[in-house]
Amino acid sequence: MKVQSKILLVVMACGLVIGLATVGLAEESLLRVAFSWPTFFDPAVGNDFSSSSALVNLYDALVYPLAGGIIPNAAESWEVSTDNLTYTFKLRKGIKFHSGNEMTAEDVKFSMDRLLEIGEGYAYLYLGKVDHTDVIDKYTVSFALKAPFGPFVSSLIRLYILEKAVVMANLKDGPYGSMGDYGKGYLLSKDAGSGAYKVKEVGLGEYILMEKVPGYWGEVLPNAPALVKFMRTPDTVAVKTMMARRELEITTPWEPEEAYQEMAKIPGVEVVGWNNGFSEYMMLNNQKPPTDDIHFRKALNWMLDWEQVLTGIYPGWTQAAGPIAHNLPGFKEGLFQYYQDMDKAREELQKSRYANQLKGLKVTLGVDTTVPPREQFALTLQANAAEFGIDVEIIKMTWGKVQEVVGSIETTPNGMHINVAPHYPEAGSMLAAKYHSSSAGTWEQAEHLLSPVIDALIDDALATVDQDERFSKYGLLQEVLVELSPSMFLFDVLEKHAYQVAYVDWSALLDNPRPTMGYNYDCRYIEVYPDRIP
Amino acid sequence: MSFATYLVRRLMHSILVLFGLSILVFLIARVLPGDPARVALGPRAPEETVQRWREWMHLDKPLYIQYYYWLANALHGDLGISLYSRQNVAIDIKTYFPATAELALFAGLIMTVFGVSFGAISARYSNTWVDNVVRMGSYVGVVTPAFIFGILFLLLFGYVLRILPTTGRLDYSTTAPPIITGMVTIDSLVTGNFAAFLDALKHLLMPAAALALGPMSQEARITRASMSDNLKKDYMLLVGAQGIPERLINFKYLLKPSLIPTVSILGLDFAALLGNAFLVELIFGWPGLSRYGIQTMLLSDLNAITGVVMMLGIVFTLANILVDIVVAYLDPRIRLTGERLQ
Repeated sequence: MKVQSKILLVVMACGLVIGLATVGLAEESLLRVAFSWPTFFDPAVGNDFSSSSALVNLYDALVYPLAGGIIPNAAESWEVSTDNLTYTFKLRKGIKFHSGNEMTAEDVKFSMDRLLEIGEGYAYLYLGKVDHTDVIDKYTVSFALKAPFGPFVSSLIRLYILEKAVVMANLKDGPYGSMGDYGKGYLLSKDAGSGAYKVKEVGLGEYILMEKVPGYWGEVLPNAPALVKFMRTPDTVAVKTMMARRELEITTPWEPEEAYQEMAKIPGVEVVGWNNGFSEYMMLNNQKPPTDDIHFRKALNWMLDWEQVLTGIYPGWTQAAGPIAHNLPGFKEGLFQYYQDMDKAREELQKSRYANQLKGLKVTLGVDTTVPPREQFALTLQANAAEFGIDVEIIKMTWGKVQEVVGSIETTPNGMHINVAPHYPEAGSMLAAKYHSSSAGTWEQAEHLLSPVIDALIDDALATVDQDERFSKYGLLQEVLVELSPSMFLFDVLEKHAYQVAYVDWSALLDNPRPTMGYNYDCRYIEVYPDRIP
Repeated sequence: MSFATYLVRRLMHSILVLFGLSILVFLIARVLPGDPARVALGPRAPEETVQRWREWMHLDKPLYIQYYYWLANALHGDLGISLYSRQNVAIDIKTYFPATAELALFAGLIMTVFGVSFGAISARYSNTWVDNVVRMGSYVGVVTPAFIFGILFLLLFGYVLRILPTTGRLDYSTTAPPIITGMVTIDSLVTGNFAAFLDALKHLLMPAAALALGPMSQEARITRASMSDNLKKDYMLLVGAQGIPERLINFKYLLKPSLIPTVSILGLDFAALLGNAFLVELIFGWPGLSRYGIQTMLLSDLNAITGVVMMLGIVFTLANILVDIVVAYLDPRIRLTGERLQ
């Protein structure tokens, strides 16, 4: 046989073998969701988008957020002492951890103590607020606060209860004294939770595979997936290919708009969007000329071509009405929204300290290079400002650089385009994160507002335990901030995903999305029908 | 000086080079602006927690003390905690390096076999349409970045034709082999898991080809040029006149000496595959060291940056030494020169 024929025969044989090796296996009920990585599902470490989504599935918190407010979860009821300093929770009986052991008050105390000692993750919600935690009896636990904190119960959506016995049995050497590493090494790849899902397999740095827990105490929809895989998102081209090949069920919310448009054309794929409670701002440096002038800040709002921005750059997004998203509890209705009016912009500029220096006046705008629409937004504002002779310089920077420059007033540009998420489902979370002096110089507050008046209003609102009264104070704060214009209140963030609508039913969550990061990925409320895969 | 002595001296020099590299990368990583502990823990972490992390990482100490701690630990296999993964960098490297090594190995195989073959064919059929096709293809291969090939392959074979997998190292439904080397193809072969072997090969094909095309084209051009040069030399006339079969002439008298420049570049190309694999790993979701390295650099993860750069430095050094050995085998003059100097 000639050499060429031999080669052809070998190639054909290889092709046959490779093809046979890919005979499909039985369909499993599997939900694959793409996320940015890394993901930490240790309740005392993770606090970003992917980590919070994993925690929601692996662990239970005392309370659970719905669109309208908080409901009991692992706790069946709670009481507040008359001085508003002690919160006593009664646990549901019979909640089982993945180990089979029952959840008790001791586990709750351990979870809070551990979170405060490690000081990472969501610890900041409780540090300086929780004085100590006491076990009253097997199913009763109390938290003693240092001072009244109205949103305390709302904030407990971020206290995920882990099993003390499992953590203590897996301590390694570490910096926490007798507690060693406090189980951080173990919890890098295992869980100690009681959630509807447990960790089956971890590809460190790549994915978490979770399996449904039989007999979970809470509600689980009948066709909730048997397996859930949270995976590192690949490149956009690969995401589109995987969606077309049904190798991915839900994309991240960070794909470019063009990618969503293309994925929407794939049969059986739908692109959905909802307001997730996040808000997007152009954070104006209130301590740096010329944005240190209230009239100049207002002028920027008047001169922006809002219509172009909302239709051309952010289609489908909702213009913000103040510093709080419309669907966040505590949002005040009826607040003023800007629109483009160059005459009003001119009036405000004339009232500003810089009225006689407009020509060539420099304004710097910082833009995160990983989010293309923000550069387009900056270019629009640059063009609008040029009509008044104002020179807007756009500074592109990586996210790491953003976090570095906002650390001081001098290095923070006049404007930084960033979105911020509420840490718990209340307006107070955003108001404190955005405008209290304690957060100035972080990426959540590039405004450097540093206002004792605003600080006092925020502290007073957060110390108000009665919800109606607290929300009323939030409303006043929002009115004051709209008038003060420390930021350009841009949009309620539209979280978009492409997902396999042909065989994934996400409606239980999407019909009424929770304005709380991670909770719209509670997979016991997502149904998967493998027999409907096109 | 004997060749063995020469090699020992090369090794000693390499150790010095690596020591210098460690100082350089350590200093560069630490003088970059930014607070790695604060970046890792986020803006809301209390200052006491951030300060604790700074103390763990010795960031509050002078640079030479920090280097001392790092070196002392590194010599014991402890490369420090990664802010990105929250585990020891040594474990991260152990996890990610085999994936990149496997990718580089297969890319290297493609690059070597096809690069030399196309170069030899091009030289053999010099100035014919075969030569022109290979040369044109080589130009395209050299100027086109690997990630462009990656995206094209993904679209063609993954999206349009749907005959090759798009991401990862194995299908979800394939039973992974036990970890021996960390390279799925080798581990599955060793354990007799042929289904996993074939599945892993399928996953490797596109990323390895994308990574290999550029250096393969370069190897083809160098081989062709070298063979064309040697073809014109007097000794080739002599062997031809002696009636030696053409096949023997091509392989022993032409190809072997022509491979010396190719092999020299091959070694460096092979090592460079490790560092250049980043975008390919990103496109194909390949869990490799290059991607890990870039992501930790963006986060100013000092321990990880130092660990990854040192790892790549060691690979480059070993690759250079291996190239020296292979070139010495191919060119007896190097061995003879060594003995003559003694």
